[in-house]
Amino acid sequence: MEGVSYARMPRVKIRELKDDYAKFELRDTDASIANALRRVMIAEVPTIAIDLVEIEVNSSVLNDEFIAHRLGLIPLTSERAMSMRFSRDCDACDGDGQCEFCSVEFHLRVKCMTDQTLDVSSKDLYSSDHSVVPVDFSDPSNHESSDNRGIIIVKLRRGQELRLRAIARKGIGKDHAKWSPAATVTFMYEPEIHINEDLMETLTLEEKREWVDSSPTRVFEIDPVTQQVMVVDAEAYTYDDEVLKKAEAMGKPGLVEIIARQDSFIFTVESTGAIKASQLVLNAIEILKQKLDAVRLSEDTVEADDQFGELGAHMRGG
Amino acid sequence: MEHGSYSDPSKSTFSFGDEDHTFANSVRFSLNQDAIYADEALSLLLSYSPRVSFCGYSIPHPSDNRVNIRVQTTGDPAREVLNDACQDLMLMCQHVRSTFDKAVSDFKKGKTRKGNKDMNVD
Repeated sequence: MEGVSYARMPRVKIRELKDDYAKFELRDTDASIANALRRVMIAEVPTIAIDLVEIEVNSSVLNDEFIAHRLGLIPLTSERAMSMRFSRDCDACDGDGQCEFCSVEFHLRVKCMTDQTLDVSSKDLYSSDHSVVPVDFSDPSNHESSDNRGIIIVKLRRGQELRLRAIARKGIGKDHAKWSPAATVTFMYEPEIHINEDLMETLTLEEKREWVDSSPTRVFEIDPVTQQVMVVDAEAYTYDDEVLKKAEAMGKPGLVEIIARQDSFIFTVESTGAIKASQLVLNAIEILKQKLDAVRLSEDTVEADDQFGELGAHMRGG
Repeated sequence: MEHGSYSDPSKSTFSFGDEDHTFANSVRFSLNQDAIYADEALSLLLSYSPRVSFCGYSIPHPSDNRVNIRVQTTGDPAREVLNDACQDLMLMCQHVRSTFDKAVSDFKKGKTRKGNKDMNVD
């Protein structure tokens, strides 16, 4: 390779990992890479969501498009999504985008027969592919199952009926938010906190307590044994400057120095349940690689741009 | 799409459709890693062979899905330098991916070991 890469290779350390929640540290990289990862996780990781609804009977209180909209927002388990094709790219189907390779069919048939209100929920949606089903958040333990009825779509009275057929397709968050697999993805700079011990010694215990309490989140604490102020949770610091302002108000500016490390990030990823949180991060990296690959291999046309080109004018601030 | 001049391939503007800050900012960072600095001490390093004299990106209008990346090099064709920057980024992505995979399996192993310990106590 011609150029030498000066980029240090990033390091990852996982703090917490649950099915739908992951907290990890990403070090030795730049904010632009961290942001690219965040943006891809929210907008460009593909999932499967209901995209076409054919309603046969609807005598409920909600109108057809209302129910169709709600159906689209139901998260579906999308492990298959990365290997599936987009409907528009599928050559196996006869043009309507409903073949088995590029879509999953659902049906819903409910009629309320009793005097009690019937809740039509995501559990009543039956899939043609058992690997793509509405996400189920219930705990495996027994006492939870009676509470979790799935996501309620509509409620029916005696005599009201809902019958429909729905097609779910692959898509990305950029097209419509229903395809976004991420509930929230955040990253923060890791804070480095240095307490000026000499200046801290000049404070009375009462003043120390007051200063420690001035922070809205519990970052500092007073060690009961040594009566010293310690950092108990550096990452609870939300970059509000309350402790700095308090120190100045007490006449002791420079009591503590807090720096945001520019190359160390703490990511918090919460998924909707469509994809596991760890899988979401891996897919995001994969998509980013695919984008770069596509750019690298594209056959570019070169346009000679002398002084009068439109693009040149724009770049020169014209 | 590359807007350059036939006589001087070291400077050109690349116009990408269907791209946004996600792609452009990370490529700009990767190009910057290869950038020439005015720092004399740095220039004495044997490994210092920078190729990029200017790199930046702009988005002409937020409603259009278009991004322009400007690359000016110290002699090499701009397109090659951009390709190499993309390549570096891909390697970094690959590294992050394998590091993340390893971190996940380490974490899971750590958890099951702890779980087994608890089971033994019972």
